[in-house]
Amino acid sequence: MRQVYLDYAATAPLLPVAKAAMIDALGARYGNASALHSAGHKAVCRIEEARVAIARLLNADPEEIIFTSGGSEANNTVAEIFRGRKIATSAIEHPSVLESMLTRASEFRTIPVDHEGRVDPLTVPMDVDMASVMLANNEIGTLEPIAEIAKHCKKHNIFLHTDATQAFGKIKIDVKALGVDYLTISAHKIGGPIGIGALFIRKGAPYRPLIIGGHQEWNRRAGTSNTVGIIGFGAAVNWCWDNWSCRLFGDKVQSLRDQLRTRILEKVPYSSCNSPKDDCLPNILNMSFQAAEGESIQLYLDAEGIMVSTGSACAAGDIKPSHVLMATSGNAEVAHSSIRFSLGLDTTQDDINYVMQVLPGVIRRLQGMSTIKIKEEHD
Amino acid sequence: MTEPAPWVYSDIVKEHFLNPRNFLMGDEAAYSHDAEGVVGNPVCGDQMKMFIRVKDDRITDLRWKTYGCASAIASTSALSELAKGRTLDEALLIGPDEITEFLGGLPKHKFHCSVLGHEALRAAITNYRAR
Repeated sequence: MRQVYLDYAATAPLLPVAKAAMIDALGARYGNASALHSAGHKAVCRIEEARVAIARLLNADPEEIIFTSGGSEANNTVAEIFRGRKIATSAIEHPSVLESMLTRASEFRTIPVDHEGRVDPLTVPMDVDMASVMLANNEIGTLEPIAEIAKHCKKHNIFLHTDATQAFGKIKIDVKALGVDYLTISAHKIGGPIGIGALFIRKGAPYRPLIIGGHQEWNRRAGTSNTVGIIGFGAAVNWCWDNWSCRLFGDKVQSLRDQLRTRILEKVPYSSCNSPKDDCLPNILNMSFQAAEGESIQLYLDAEGIMVSTGSACAAGDIKPSHVLMATSGNAEVAHSSIRFSLGLDTTQDDINYVMQVLPGVIRRLQGMSTIKIKEEHD
Repeated sequence: MTEPAPWVYSDIVKEHFLNPRNFLMGDEAAYSHDAEGVVGNPVCGDQMKMFIRVKDDRITDLRWKTYGCASAIASTSALSELAKGRTLDEALLIGPDEITEFLGGLPKHKFHCSVLGHEALRAAITNYRAR
C-alpha cells in the first residue's frame, strides 16, 4: 500500500546527512566532552562546530546557544529563569510552555488571540516580567508578529521568549531582527535526531539553569553532552543552510499545501480551513470536517496509508478538544472534527493526489454514519 | 527484534471500525423503527444513537449512528451484533464488559466508549417501553 506521511510537524524523518554523521560519531570513540584528553577534546570540537552552525542559522553568537534535551526542556528552562515572577503567555502555546510557566509564575496571564490565532502586540500585559509567544503555532501554523511584540515588550521592560520549534528551518529566523531574549528550537522538526534541542539566550538576559550539578554548557546546563545527538543536529542545520531550506518550504512545499487546501475545500463536503490564509507556516494545513470526528478520520486515513494528526485527543476517559482551536473558534465541534496535514520537503504532487483520492470518501462515510446533522449554512 | 503492532487497537476493533455492522447511513427516517435512544454530546466528542425494531419483546433488527472515535464506532458496531435477536430483558443485561470482551479488549482510556453504546441501547429500550 502507498504510504503518505503528512505529520512532519510532529516529527520529520531523519535527514540522510544527519544519519550518516551520527553513525560516524557512534563509531568514533569520542570521550566525555568535559574531559581534557584527546578523545574528550575531539568531542568538544565537534560540539562547538554544531553550536556555530546553529548560531549562524539564527544570526546569534555561539555563546548565546545552549544545548538541551529538546524543545520542552528549553521551554521549561525559560520558565525556571522566571520562577516566582509574573509571566504572560499566549493562549495557544505548546503545553511545554503553558504548563511550565503556569506552574512557576507568581502571577500568570493569558494573552488572547484572534480567530486566526494571532496575538495583538498591544495586548501583552505591561506589568509582567516575561512574556512567551510562539513564533509559529504547531497546530494551525499561524505566524505571530514577534518583532512588534518585542518592541512593545522592550518599551515596558518585559523579557520576551519565543518558541520557534515549528518555525525553525521553515521560515527565516534572525534573533537580532526579531529582538527576542530567548528562543527555543528542536532538532527533530528539521530532520535531526529526537532528544536534542537548543535555547538561544541573548547576551545579558537573565539566566538560571534548570538542571544543576555540572559545569557543562558554561554552567548553564548540567549533564554529559549528548555528543552524537548534537552532531546529528549540527548536520541537519548545515543541510538547511546549504540547501536554503526556507526557500524550499516557501516555494515548493507552500504551493503543494495551498493546492491541498483548495482541492479539499472544493471536493470535500462541509470542510473548512482553520489555518490562516496569510502569515502562516508554509507546511501546515488544519481543516475541519463537519460531523466527522478527528480520531476516526485519522485512523480511516491511516488504514489507507495516510498519516496525519488530529486536534481531538481522547485520553483518560475525557476527550479534550484542542486548546488552540477552542481559543480561535470557541467551537468544540470544530475542534473535535479537525485534522492537521503537515507537509515536508519529501512531500510530492503524487502524495497530494493520493490524499484527494482517499479523503472525500472517508469524510462522506463518517458524515453519513454520524449522529450530527449537517448544518447547510456552515458550508 | 520483532515488528511492533502497527495499530493501537485489537484486530477485532479494527475490523469493526473499518467495516462496522448495522450502521445507518444517511437519513434516519429511511429506517423504520419502533424506538430510539441517544446518549452523549458532540461537544464532548462522542454521541451515539440506537434505532430498534421490536417484535414480541425481542429486538429483531437494529441500526445505529455514531459521532466519535474509532473505539466508539467499533464498540457500537459490536453492541449491535450482540443485541440483535435478544429479548429486551436480555439486551438490557449487555454491559461494557461484554462489549469489550467481544472486541478482544480496548485500551484502558477508551473504556468509556463502550459504556456509552450500552447506554444508548438502554435508552432505546426505555423509549420503547414508555410507548
